[in-house]
Amino acid sequence: MNKKLETELYKAATLAFEELGFLLPSLEVNEQQLNAQVEAAASVEFDGPFSGKLLVRICGGILPTITANMMGEEEVPSKNLQYDALTEITNVICGNMLPGIAGSTGIFHVSVPKMDESFNLLPPVVEMQLGLGQGRADLLLFVSKYSGLEG
Amino acid sequence: MAFNILVVDDSSVMRAIIIKTLRLSQLPLGEVYEASNGQDALKVLEDNWVDLALVDINMPVMDGEEMIKRLRQNPATADVPVIIVSTEGSETRIGGLVQKGAGFVHKPFTPESLRGIILKTLGGLNEQKAGDGTL
Repeated sequence: MNKKLETELYKAATLAFEELGFLLPSLEVNEQQLNAQVEAAASVEFDGPFSGKLLVRICGGILPTITANMMGEEEVPSKNLQYDALTEITNVICGNMLPGIAGSTGIFHVSVPKMDESFNLLPPVVEMQLGLGQGRADLLLFVSKYSGLEG
Repeated sequence: MAFNILVVDDSSVMRAIIIKTLRLSQLPLGEVYEASNGQDALKVLEDNWVDLALVDINMPVMDGEEMIKRLRQNPATADVPVIIVSTEGSETRIGGLVQKGAGFVHKPFTPESLRGIILKTLGGLNEQKAGDGTL
């Protein structure tokens, strides 16, 4: 895996899950987290100094908790709100990751994030698992035209 | 004095976060309007007095940049203060928006950072008065 991409993805994901979801992600994934089933996935595409797609999968039934934390609600939010929360987290991770990789002068055009069911994709450049409470987040980064991958 | 604020973001969860943060910021709030894209936001502005608009950039139908451009072209709304609330990380793009008279706050944000940029954007407000709700 490309170390710079991995580092920036981890920093952005940690920021998003901590600040928005009030969950502390960990790179150490325990057995329960590892076995957690995928509950939803969202993706966002970007194009600029390099292009690609970020896919975020949430596993283990933690999306209602993340959504409720984000909204400051105690009741279980509707599915639509849960999907909205996941697309927004994906958007925030992507938006914070890109300048870390490309620098603060590069301009990216970022698509509106959407729910994503394309689980069978080409191998990502970076694939990361973060332990989150009783569940897990999978982060998959696909890029092209990125000079850091050459050589 | 209470501020009427328009929150423009295609994510209803993010609008809820922004409104929750506004309430935590101890600013005196009047009406809080919501819109899910720039086009709907311009309609809200046609029908209501708004003291400040908090606007996302990346939205379907009409994005935040286009909305601000149209808002500035209309004499009735040209002077409405705008703060961009976005994940945008390009200093070049942020600089262009700031040059158009918009403030900028980066997602994710804290109540303190949002309050700070609101006070800076609205200008001339007494921080202490805003804090104790006597504005």
